[in-house]
Amino acid sequence: MIKDITIGQYFSAKSVIHRLDARIKIILTIAFIVNIFLIKNFWGLGVIVATLIATTLLSKVPFKMILKSIKPIVFIVIFTAVLNLFYMQDGRNLLPESWFISITDKGLIFAFFLAVRIITLVIASSLLTYTTTPTELTFAIEKLLSPLKLIKVPVNTFATMMTLALRFIPTLIEETDKIMSAQKARGADLETGGIIDRIKAMVPILIPLFVSSFRRANDLAFAMECRCYTDGEGRTRMKQNKISFKDIAALVIIVLITTGIVLLNTFFTHVI
Amino acid sequence: MPVLQAVNVSHRYTQASPTQFSAIENVNIEIENGELVGIIGHTGSGKSTLVQHFNGLLKPTEGKILLDGKDIWESKKTVHQSRFKVGLCFQYPEYQLFEETVYKDIAFGPKNMKLSEEEIDKAVRKAAEYVGISASMFQKSPFDLSGGEKRRVAIAGVMAMEPQVLILDEPTAGLDPKGRDRILDMIKAYQKDTKKTVIFVSHSMEDVAKLATKVLVMNKSRVAMYDTVDNVYSRAEELTEMGLNVPQVTKIFMSLKKQGVDVSQNIYTVEQGKAELLRLLGGSKK
Ligand SMILES: Nc1ncnc2c1ncn2[C@@H]1O[C@H](COP(=O)(O)OP(=O)(O)O)[C@@H](O)[C@H]1O
Ligand SMILES: [Mg+2]
Repeated sequence: MIKDITIGQYFSAKSVIHRLDARIKIILTIAFIVNIFLIKNFWGLGVIVATLIATTLLSKVPFKMILKSIKPIVFIVIFTAVLNLFYMQDGRNLLPESWFISITDKGLIFAFFLAVRIITLVIASSLLTYTTTPTELTFAIEKLLSPLKLIKVPVNTFATMMTLALRFIPTLIEETDKIMSAQKARGADLETGGIIDRIKAMVPILIPLFVSSFRRANDLAFAMECRCYTDGEGRTRMKQNKISFKDIAALVIIVLITTGIVLLNTFFTHVI
Repeated sequence: MPVLQAVNVSHRYTQASPTQFSAIENVNIEIENGELVGIIGHTGSGKSTLVQHFNGLLKPTEGKILLDGKDIWESKKTVHQSRFKVGLCFQYPEYQLFEETVYKDIAFGPKNMKLSEEEIDKAVRKAAEYVGISASMFQKSPFDLSGGEKRRVAIAGVMAMEPQVLILDEPTAGLDPKGRDRILDMIKAYQKDTKKTVIFVSHSMEDVAKLATKVLVMNKSRVAMYDTVDNVYSRAEELTEMGLNVPQVTKIFMSLKKQGVDVSQNIYTVEQGKAELLRLLGGSKK
């Protein structure tokens, strides 16, 4: 159902990971994703998976939530893995020569790495959103992007827009649900028919949704102006975020992991 | 045979844990053909959840809904049919309008029923007449109408499917007194003319008293009362405990009675009160 979408979902818990500074968490996530693509052998893969499991355990996000985040991509993972399995034809063929298809040992390893990479990538980014509130996240992005102000990019405006967008995701989902029910009550058939029919069937849902979104946006802008909202420089924050010891420690750890993976790549044979 | 029947119906929105609270719990009711039922209850008492079961939008977690004696969840086909047999108009239905013109929007339901052009045209015109939308407005965009007009167009959209049972979820919510009276008069006229079953949700005891032949009181996910208007309103104390207020005129007449004045207790609207007072004063003037 439409309610199963978990993008930008926050999972409230008290953990070290939750308490890390959001800016650091974004940097850590990016560094980790880079590492996912650096690995060249099973040793590296082991380090990646172990790090991810350790982080997940530390974050106290339940295993069920993690599974929920990879559920929507299962199909993509299987599809790309299978495609690569047949596409990659280097190496020793594992199937009898007489068969019209061939699967090689290299293809198998390649497909496996690809699947693990996509899955770890998605889990790492969901961990970021699970453990960071949208407000913190936007603040962090705003800070990290602040150098762009030098070339006159309106970073503050961008951050406000993002906060508002995240805030309205649940509202919009609820609204979509309601409109869908209302149109179904008028006999709208959303489940059967060919692809063209189904796209056409979305019109009675999308138009009311757009109309109400514009109305909401208008009301919101008005309400913000009434409370003297001004954009740009000089806005201060109620909560000041400071980099603490554990943030530095986390940075050191990711540097060590990266170094480790580079060393593993240098000293052990590459499999991909 | 009752047209609609709920047998031991319970509904839980999240079925993950069995301890989850039920939005409606063990509902048993029978709605006879041609009745005008008012559903009343506190916010969150499960009114909307209940009515969404009647046309198969929600599936009961436990229990059955019978339409004309047949389980509506028997097959995919029966569910689909129940959507047309039972027309449900949601709360704030004006947010579901989407077509370019008023006419097309009202015709959306009948079109989904795969009726012929003439049948659709007839249904649209008739429904528009019930809600007081004149043919001169047919070519207007529904987004250019006033709030009250939008609401009436949306209701017409459901009426145009000519359902056996018409359900309106809080049709008067957020309207001014004039707009509210207009909708209420419209429901009454529709029921009188078509003799079809109408169910409407409201949290105004006055509105229900004005229209309904039977009242269903929901309290904390359960059916607290289901009886005639007189029988329900005479249990004023219980209603007050549920956070529902009997109309002010009713209270006045009840206390008059307590003080020994010989008046009827079954007074729910100001008009009835006026008539009763005039009767008491011995005058038959208007
Ligand atoms: N889509 C939904 N998902 C989860 N809970 C819901 C949903 N709709 C209603 N509820 C809950 O079910 C209960 C009954 O709600 P509802 O039937 O809308 O009451 P009413 O219409 O009488 O105000 C409420 O406690 C409400 O929070
Ligand atoms: Mg409701």
